[in-house]
Amino acid sequence: MANSNLPRRIIKETQRLLSEPAPGISASPSEDNMRYFNVMILGPTQSPYEGGVFKLELFLPEEYPMAAPKVRFLTKIYHPNIDKLGRICLDILKDKWSPALQIRTVLLSIQALLSAPNPDDPLSENIAKHWKSNEAEAVETAKEWTRLYASDA
Amino acid sequence: MQSEDDMHDANDIDSLDDDFYSGETEDAPLDYYSDYDDEADDYFEEADRIESRRPEQNFTILKESDIKQRQEEDVTRVATVLSISRIFASILLRYYNWSVSRVHDAWFADEEQVRKSVGLLEKPIVQHDNNTRELTCGICFENYPRARIEMASCGHPYCISCWEGYISTSISDGPGCLMLRCPDPTCGAAVGQDMISLLKSDEDKQKYARYLLRSYIEDNKKSKWCPAPGCECAVTFDAVSVGNYDVSCLCSYSFCWNCTEEAHRPVDCGTVAKWILKNSAESENMNWILANSKPCPKCKRPIEKNQGCMHMTCTPPCKYEFCWLCLGVWSDHGERTGGFYACNRYETAKQEGVYDDTERRREMAKNSLERYTHYYERWASNQSSRQKALADLQQMQTVHIEKLSDIQCQPESQLKFITEAWLQIIECRRVLKWTYAYGFYLPEHELAKKQFFEYLQGEAESGLERLHQCAEKELQPFLCADEPSREFNDFRTKLAGLTSVTRNYFENLVRALENGLSDVDSNGASFSRATSSKNAAGSSKGRSGRVKGTFRTSMSSRMNDDSHWCCEHCTYANVKSATTCQMCYQQRR
Repeated sequence: MANSNLPRRIIKETQRLLSEPAPGISASPSEDNMRYFNVMILGPTQSPYEGGVFKLELFLPEEYPMAAPKVRFLTKIYHPNIDKLGRICLDILKDKWSPALQIRTVLLSIQALLSAPNPDDPLSENIAKHWKSNEAEAVETAKEWTRLYASDA
Repeated sequence: MQSEDDMHDANDIDSLDDDFYSGETEDAPLDYYSDYDDEADDYFEEADRIESRRPEQNFTILKESDIKQRQEEDVTRVATVLSISRIFASILLRYYNWSVSRVHDAWFADEEQVRKSVGLLEKPIVQHDNNTRELTCGICFENYPRARIEMASCGHPYCISCWEGYISTSISDGPGCLMLRCPDPTCGAAVGQDMISLLKSDEDKQKYARYLLRSYIEDNKKSKWCPAPGCECAVTFDAVSVGNYDVSCLCSYSFCWNCTEEAHRPVDCGTVAKWILKNSAESENMNWILANSKPCPKCKRPIEKNQGCMHMTCTPPCKYEFCWLCLGVWSDHGERTGGFYACNRYETAKQEGVYDDTERRREMAKNSLERYTHYYERWASNQSSRQKALADLQQMQTVHIEKLSDIQCQPESQLKFITEAWLQIIECRRVLKWTYAYGFYLPEHELAKKQFFEYLQGEAESGLERLHQCAEKELQPFLCADEPSREFNDFRTKLAGLTSVTRNYFENLVRALENGLSDVDSNGASFSRATSSKNAAGSSKGRSGRVKGTFRTSMSSRMNDDSHWCCEHCTYANVKSATTCQMCYQQRR
């Protein structure tokens, strides 16, 4: 099958992700494509996303690890660095990618981004504006969205 | 000493005035050449000419080998002074945009900080026991024997094939590969050229070398690539003098170092940018209006201009001779008929009668388009005329000179005056072209300036026509002759003379326009004789000598103001008290 030529690195990473998962993060490869991962990240405590379970998809392109994995949120989320299609604005997924980074480090970075939104480098202009003009209200909306879209799992 | 310098300034201004008047004071074209016979030898001394054409050369053209050599020298210099490896020196220079002095300054101010920010580690972060047989690659997680593992100065271990992948990915991403760091995101150790040599792919190595070379030119504020297509030379420029940014590359392309558009003296960079923008915005329209042909004014057959000068002759049976620019009859243009070259003139159409608003607006739009068309057409005509002249020069150098040398029994070295003439034509077409952009932006209300400018431009246009005509048409008979012609020497004198006169005129024209025609005061076309030293920019002592031959007749009368007298022999402006000329020691007469 397509998975027959899977690099050792991906196999090792997958094994470690399954045997020693990072706290609040789970990632498991799809059965028919070992380069496609179903990811779940728990909303970090003390953040507007606390109590939510966020689904993501992660794909390792052919060039991986020389090229960054492709990651996107499947669960709707109110966050200045994530747009309505779930795309994420994160430097290590773009120009700051290094082959020494891994799936685990990427997911930890995304988890950290949930704890610390950065409205100064926004992907979603409207949400960022909301965040900067009235942070309390924006946080309320984020909590509301977490309740509405991320709580059923 | 100081007074002597002032004298030269004064001379230059006068030469300027004389040039402007020369068209009025003489009535036969003969005047143009008669001055040459006696002084011809002085005039055409090679050294003098080169000096006068390039008063100061503040740029250097670098070929690829020169660039590499300079780069190597800089790396060696930094490596020696800082006692570091050439690899580190190269990384440092690249970080500080190839400025040796900035590297030195930063390094000696705070070596530790520089090492940290550039990523030049003194000690590895990760130490490896010498006895370790195997190491794990941080990218593919495989274990490898020590020999298959490489590391930058930090010691983070990666296998050779992962290094290759890392480096070639970075090279395909662009010149950022020159600042490559260790793959470990927390590390930041610089990856030098030694790692690049690990690469097996020659293509990647070449790309890297190319980026390194380009970086040396592009990141350095003092150097730029020649913008001519296909040219691989670079130019370094020492911005010492003010104003003159003209640079000419080995590929013979001249451009402005400041804005990298083609050379555009006397027009400044801002005007050129405006003009080019305007042309691109309206060029579609203009192209449609102008196309590439004009109907013959007499027989109305469409005519395509394929010769350099503006004197057109329709094919038989019509044979109508006319001026390409204004489509007027040519006999009105020549000097012989006492005619008057007025093609550069654009008379703003006077608005008469009472218009309602719409009509006036329509009229204004039409006028402004017509006005622009007028200038654009002449700008473009000179442009294409220049292209044609370039091609003619090429043809001349490759074919005609040799042929002429055979027919006229002249060594090729004696035919240099023809090449000189064509080079001058090409340069003049360029200047003339830009005077039309200059004219377009000259404020309408400065009437005196505008009139004076148009007069100067008209003179320039007709002078250049004369030269172009001579170099193009009058040469033909000698090329077709069967045996040496006796008139050839006359032709030489005439063409060389015209070349020199035209060069003088255009040099002065450029200076006058660059000064914003400051000699014209608001009341009318009177010329102030103020000893502004601006006019003397780029002039050398040789100048006073050059002026004498051409304008001797009108010179002395012009120079006789109260404080100076003008030497009849060499035209040097002496202070009133002197009884002998301070330049040539002739007695005052």
